[in-house]
Amino acid sequence: MPSHPLRVAVVCSSNQNRSMEAHNILSKRGFDVRSFGTGSHVKLPGPAPDKPNVYDFKTTYVQMYNDLVRKDKELYTQNGILHMLDRNKRIKSKPERFQNCKDKFDLVITCEERVYDQVLEDLNSREQETLQPVHVINVDIQDNHEEATLGAFLICELCQCIQHTDDMENEIDELLQEFEEKSNRPFLHTVCFY
Amino acid sequence: MDVSSEEGDSEIPHVIDMTTSEKVVDLLNQAVLTPTDEKLTGLKQVQELILNKDPSLLDNFLDEMIAFQTDKSIEVRKYVIGFIEEACKRDNELLLRLIANLNMLLKDESVNVVKKAILTLTQLYKVTLQWLVRSKAVSERQEACWDLVTQMKGDVLALLDSENDGVRTHAIKFTESLIITLSPRTSDSDVPKRQEGDISLDKVPKDHSYIRYDVLCEEGKNALERLLKFMVHPAITSINLTTALGSLATIARQRPMFMSEVVQAYEMLHANLPPTLAKSQVSSVRKNLKLHLVAVLKHPCSLEFQGQIGTLLLDLGMPQSEITRSTPAPREQRKRPRHEQYKEGKKVKMEPALMEDDEDKEEPAPLSVPKPAAVPVVQSAIDLTAEFLHPLLNPENVANLVLISMVYLPDVMPASFQATYTPVESAGTDAQIKHLARLMATQMTAAGIGPGLEQCKAREDEAGKDEGNDDDAAGKDLLIKRKNPAAMMGQAISVVGGYQEKVTSPEAPVTVKRLPEPILPTAQTKLPGASGRKKVFRLSDVVQPLSDAQIEMLTSRAVKRILNSEKAITQSGMSHVRVKLLSRLVTQFEGMMKEDVLGFILDDIRTRSDLAFSLLYQEYNTYLSQLPTGLLDSYDHCLYTLLSGLQEKPEQRDGLFTKLVLEAPLITESALEVIRRYCEDESRVYLGMTTLKELIVKRPSRQFQYLHVLLDLSSHEKEKVRTTALAFLKRMYEKDQLRDYIEKFALNYMQLLVHPNPPSLLFGADKDTEVAAPWTEETVRQCLFLYLSLLPLNHRLVHELASVYTEAIADIKRSVLRAIEQPIRGMGMNSPELLLLVENCPKGAETLVTRCLHILTDKVPPSPELVERVRDLYHKRVPDVRFLIPVINGLEKNEVIQALPKLIKLNPIVVKEVFNRLLGTQHSEGSSSVSPLTPGDLLIALHNIDSTKCDMKSIIKATNLCFGEKNVYTSEVLAVVMQQLMEQSPLPMLLMRTVIQSLTMYPRLGGFVMNILSRLIVKQVWKYPKVWEGFVKCCQRTKPQSFSVLLQLPPAQLTSVFERCPEMREPLLQHVHSFTPHQQAHIPNSIMSVLEANKKTEPKPVEPVVEKGMEPDPVPVPVEEEVPVEALQRPDTPVQQLPAVMKEEEEPMEQHESDPVIQEEAVDTVPEVDLTRAEATPSPQPEPAEEAMETSQPEPSDLHLPEKDAEAATPEPEAGSGSEDAE
Repeated sequence: MPSHPLRVAVVCSSNQNRSMEAHNILSKRGFDVRSFGTGSHVKLPGPAPDKPNVYDFKTTYVQMYNDLVRKDKELYTQNGILHMLDRNKRIKSKPERFQNCKDKFDLVITCEERVYDQVLEDLNSREQETLQPVHVINVDIQDNHEEATLGAFLICELCQCIQHTDDMENEIDELLQEFEEKSNRPFLHTVCFY
Repeated sequence: MDVSSEEGDSEIPHVIDMTTSEKVVDLLNQAVLTPTDEKLTGLKQVQELILNKDPSLLDNFLDEMIAFQTDKSIEVRKYVIGFIEEACKRDNELLLRLIANLNMLLKDESVNVVKKAILTLTQLYKVTLQWLVRSKAVSERQEACWDLVTQMKGDVLALLDSENDGVRTHAIKFTESLIITLSPRTSDSDVPKRQEGDISLDKVPKDHSYIRYDVLCEEGKNALERLLKFMVHPAITSINLTTALGSLATIARQRPMFMSEVVQAYEMLHANLPPTLAKSQVSSVRKNLKLHLVAVLKHPCSLEFQGQIGTLLLDLGMPQSEITRSTPAPREQRKRPRHEQYKEGKKVKMEPALMEDDEDKEEPAPLSVPKPAAVPVVQSAIDLTAEFLHPLLNPENVANLVLISMVYLPDVMPASFQATYTPVESAGTDAQIKHLARLMATQMTAAGIGPGLEQCKAREDEAGKDEGNDDDAAGKDLLIKRKNPAAMMGQAISVVGGYQEKVTSPEAPVTVKRLPEPILPTAQTKLPGASGRKKVFRLSDVVQPLSDAQIEMLTSRAVKRILNSEKAITQSGMSHVRVKLLSRLVTQFEGMMKEDVLGFILDDIRTRSDLAFSLLYQEYNTYLSQLPTGLLDSYDHCLYTLLSGLQEKPEQRDGLFTKLVLEAPLITESALEVIRRYCEDESRVYLGMTTLKELIVKRPSRQFQYLHVLLDLSSHEKEKVRTTALAFLKRMYEKDQLRDYIEKFALNYMQLLVHPNPPSLLFGADKDTEVAAPWTEETVRQCLFLYLSLLPLNHRLVHELASVYTEAIADIKRSVLRAIEQPIRGMGMNSPELLLLVENCPKGAETLVTRCLHILTDKVPPSPELVERVRDLYHKRVPDVRFLIPVINGLEKNEVIQALPKLIKLNPIVVKEVFNRLLGTQHSEGSSSVSPLTPGDLLIALHNIDSTKCDMKSIIKATNLCFGEKNVYTSEVLAVVMQQLMEQSPLPMLLMRTVIQSLTMYPRLGGFVMNILSRLIVKQVWKYPKVWEGFVKCCQRTKPQSFSVLLQLPPAQLTSVFERCPEMREPLLQHVHSFTPHQQAHIPNSIMSVLEANKKTEPKPVEPVVEKGMEPDPVPVPVEEEVPVEALQRPDTPVQQLPAVMKEEEEPMEQHESDPVIQEEAVDTVPEVDLTRAEATPSPQPEPAEEAMETSQPEPSDLHLPEKDAEAATPEPEAGSGSEDAE
C-alpha cells in the first residue's frame, strides 16, 4: 500500500552502463526513476586501458556516439559501447551528475562503494531543510555489460519489494537482510535527510 | 460555504478576487468528490490561490481546507499537514487555530501521516517560538498555543520509543532540531544559510513574559540527554543509529558547546557497537561514523578533541595523512575552514558574529557562555578513569586481563568485531597504552563503573544543588522584570502588532487557559451539493464479523500493547489504572494471554509485583464469584507460575517470594509444592522455611498441611535443609497446638525402624510399603533426625527409643547407638527420665543403656544418683561388669578392686578405657573426676588379684597397661608400689617382674632396686620359686651393681644362682679379687669357695657375712670401678644413698619419698653431676625404643585391630623380662 510511487535514483560513476541499465529496466516497470553519475567526468573505455574517452557531463549521448563512430566504429561496435550509447540516448539526452541535482528522492541506489561514499558525502554536505529522509543503498556491481544487466535485475527486484512494503522505513532493514542472504552480497545502507 | 466566501468577497471587492474566490469554491467542491490524485491537484491549486495569489482568502477557506484532514487518503491528509505548515509560516496568527489540528494529525493512525506531522512540527516549533518571542505582549490564546506546542514536543520526544522505525527516525531529527533551537547560537557555531533567520535560544529574551529562558535551556539539555541515551540502547536499529550519528554531528557543528558530549558518544559507540547489527550494517554504521567524525573534525572547535577523533578515525581505517588533511591548523583554524566553506558554498557562518571575531586574533574560547562547567565535567568521567587505568596497564595485568576474558569469548566471531578489527600496530608504546586505557575507560563508563564516574557523580550532585539555587534566583528576577516586558523586547518586527495590549498578570492562574481546539471538519457538510451525494453511513455496511482466530489475535495484540506501554504509562502516572485494566482483562479471557502477562511479569518481577498481586487477587475474586461451582484451576495456575518463576530466578533478596506466599489468599497444593522446592534450595532454605513457618503460624486452618511439609523436610537428604527444618521444628515444638502433631510424626517415623526393610516412604514414595533394599546408616538416620532433635526437649520420649531399639535388627541398633550421642549428652545425667531408663533397662536394651552411660560420663564424672542406679542394676538385675565402667570413678575403692578381675578380662580396648578412667588419663580436662584408686593402689590391686579368679596373662597385660602410662607411673609411684609389695607376705608372684620393668623404665632406680633386692634376701626370697627366679634375673641384669647384693646371699643360694647362670661366677670372683685385702677379709670363706667353684671350700657361717656385707665399705669401690668416668663425683652419692636405705630396715618405708629428693639435692649441690647426667641421659635411649613399642600398642587397638595382633606385640618385652616362666 505505498502512498505514492517511490522516487528512485540509480547512481554509478559515469551514468553510462550500470545506472542506465537499471534506469532502463526500472522505468519499464513503472518506477519514478532517474539516473546519475558521481564522477567529475564521464569516462568511456578507449582503445587502451590508459586511454579512456573522457567527456564532461554536458556532452549528450548522441554527441558521444557520433564521436566514437568517428574514432573507431568497429572497435566501439565490438565492445558494445555504441550499442550502450544508443540505448542511453533513447532514455535521456545526456548523463547527469548527482551532485548537481537538487531534486528529492526516497531511495538512492548506488552501484559501487566509492559512489556510495560520494553520494553520502554530497548529501551530508547539503544544508538540511525539510528533514525528509532518503535511504541510500549500495549494491556492488562490476562495470561490464553482463554484470550491469544482472545488477539491474537485482536492483529492480529490490525496488519492487520496497515499493510493496506497507511501511518502507519500518521494514527496509529486515528486507535488506533477507536480500543480503538471498543474493549473497552485502548491502551498505544508510539514511540521509534533505 | 458560499455564504462565507461571499462575505470575504464583499470585504475585498475586486474583480480578480471575485473570480479567484469563485475558482477556489469550485476547486474545493470538485476536490470533495474526485479521487485522490485529482483531489490533490485541486487542493494544490487552492493552496496556490489562497496562499500566494490572494492571501486574503486564506482565512475564508481555511476551515474548508482543514476539513480534508479526515480524508480517507493518506496522501490527502499529508497534504493538509503541508498546507498547515505553509499557512502558519505565512500567517503566524493561524497557529492559534491550526496547531490543534496538527496535534490531531500527530496522532493519526497512519505512520506516514504521523511522520509528516513530525516534520511539520519541527518547522512550526521554531515558527511558534519565534512568533511568541517577537510578540510584544503575549495573549492568553498564544500562551495556550505555546503550551500545546510544548506538549506536542513532549509527545514527539516520547516517540523516540515508538514501535516504528521510521517514526523514531523522524523523532530523532525533531530532537536534533529541538536541541539546536533550544541552545544558544554562539560565535563559533556553524550556521547553514537557510537557517540563519531561525530562532535559537540566544534570541529568546531572558525576561519574556511567558517563555522562560531557563526552562527552554533545560529542555534543550534534556533533549540532548534523551538523544544520547537513545543512542546507547543496545537494540537500536542501524537506521536509527545512522540518523542519530548524523544528528550529533549536526549538533556538534552548530552548537560546539556540546562537542564534548558528541565526541564522547561517538567514542562510546565505537567501543560498543550494538550487538544486534548485521555485518553489512556494521560497515554502514562505521562508514557513517567516519563521515561524521571528519565533519566534526573540520570544525574549528574540534581542537581539543583532535586526539580522540584522530584515534577513532585511525581505528576506523582512515590513513593518518587524510586525518591530518581534515584537521584544521590550530593557528588559522578559524580562517581556513571558513574560506573553503565559502568556495564550496556549503556552510556560511553567522555574519555579524563573525566580523567581530575576525578582529580579535585570539583563539576562541571553545565552549562558550551557557554552562561552561558542564563540558569538562562530562568530559572527565572517561578521562579520569583512563588516567586511573593508564599506570595499571603493565604487561602482566594486560596478559591477565586477556587470559581472563578468553573465557567469555563467544563461539562465533561477532560481525562488529570482524568489521572493526585492525591489527594493533604500535603495541606496547605509550600512545597505544593510553589508547587502550581510554578504550577501557569508555567501556567502564558506559557500564557505570570506574573512579571517574564516581567523582563526576559527586560533582554533579553538587552542581545540582547550585542549580537549584539559581532557579530560585531566576524566578525572583522574573517577577520583578515582568512589569515592563515591552520595553525589553529586542527584535520588535512584529507582524501582528497592535491589538494584544492586555498584559496577562503574572498571577493570573494558568489553569484557566484552554488549549487550542482543532477545527472540526463540520464544514464539510456546509459545502453545497456535497451532502446530497454522500451515502448514508451505516456501520453494518462497512464492518464484517471477525473470525475467531482474528479475534484471538487482536485481543492478544491489544493486551500486548497495554503490556508494552509500561514505560509511557508510568511516566504519565497512571500505572495503577493499567495494572487494574490488565488484571481484569486477563482474568476474563482464556488462552495465551495469561501466559504472556505472566511471562511479562516474571521478566522483571521486582518492578511489576503490583501487577502480579493484582492479577492474583483478581483470579481469586473470579473464583469466589462462581463459588459453588467455580474451579480454582486458573488461580492455581497463576499462583503456581508466579511462584515457580520466582523460585527459578537466581538470588533475590527482596523477599518477594515470601510476600507473595503470605499475601496470596489461598495456598494451593501445587503452590505448596513450589514452596517445598524453594525450601529445598540450599541457598534459600532459611527464607523458604521462614515463609513456611509464617504460613503455619498465620493460617491455622491449614497449619497441619503446612507443618507436614516442614516435617517432611526434616529428614531431607541435604544437610542444610534438614538442619534448618529441624531448628524450625524445635521452635514450633514449644507451641502446644503443634506439639502433639510433631511428636506423633517423629515417633511414627522412628517406629519405621522396626521394619526389617526400610519402607518406601523414606525414598519419597507416598505409600508406606516396604522395599527390598536393606537399611543403611542413611535411612536409619533419616528416621531419627526429628526424634533425636526433640529428645532433649522432651526427655520422656527416650523410653520410646528403648522400645523401638529392642525390636530393631542389629544393623539398626548399631546406627542408633552412633546417632544418639548428641541428644543424650544434651539431656544430661540428671534427667529423671534417663535415670529411669537406666533403672528399668528393658531387656534387649542393655547396649543402649551402656552407650548412654558412656556418653554421659564421657566428659563429666558420674553423679551419685547415676552411680546408685547403675550399682543397683548391676547387683540386682544384670550382672554385666561393663555397666560399671562408665561410672567406675563413682564407685567405692573396694568395689573397684572387687570388679577388677572381671574388668581386666574384657576386650583389651575396653580394659584400656577402664584404666584411662581410673588413671584419669582419658581426657585432658578430666582432673575433675577423682578416681577411687590412686595409680599405686591400682597397680598393687593388680598384683593382689587372686590367680584363681583371673588368669595371669590378663593380669600381666593389665600391669603392662599401667607401665604404658609413664606420666602417671613415675619413678616415685613405682618406688612406693615396690616398697609396699615387698612388705607383703607372702610376696606377690609378679613382684620381681614389676621390679625389673620399673628398672628398665627408670634406670636411676638402680640404687633403690639394690636396696629392695637386699631386703628380699632378708625375707628369704628363695622360698618363692617364681620370685626367686625373677630375683636372679634381676641380679643378672644389674651386674656389676648387683655383685654386692649377691655377696650377701647365703652360699647355698649363691650356688643356686651360679647354677642358673654360671657366667656370673667369674666376674663376681674378679670383683672380689679387686677388693683391698682388708675388704677381702670380710668375705666369708664359704662364699669364696662358692666363687672359686673348683676348690671345695668348707662352709662358713652365713649371717655375719651378711651383716658385714651391709657395711658401706665394699660398695663404693665397685661403683668407682664400674663407672670410671664418674669416679670423681660418684663416690659421694652412693655412699649417702645406700647407707640411708640399708642401715635401718624400718626407715625406707617413710623415707622412700625422700630418696629421690636426696638424689636431686646431690644433683643440685654438684652441678657437674648434672652435666654428666645430661650426658648420661642418652643411656635410656633403648627405652624410648621400648616405649615406642608400647605406645604403638594402644594405637592399633584403637583402630580395632584384631586382638591377636595386639597380643603378638606384647610378648616381646615380657620375653626380655624373663618372667614367662611365671605364666
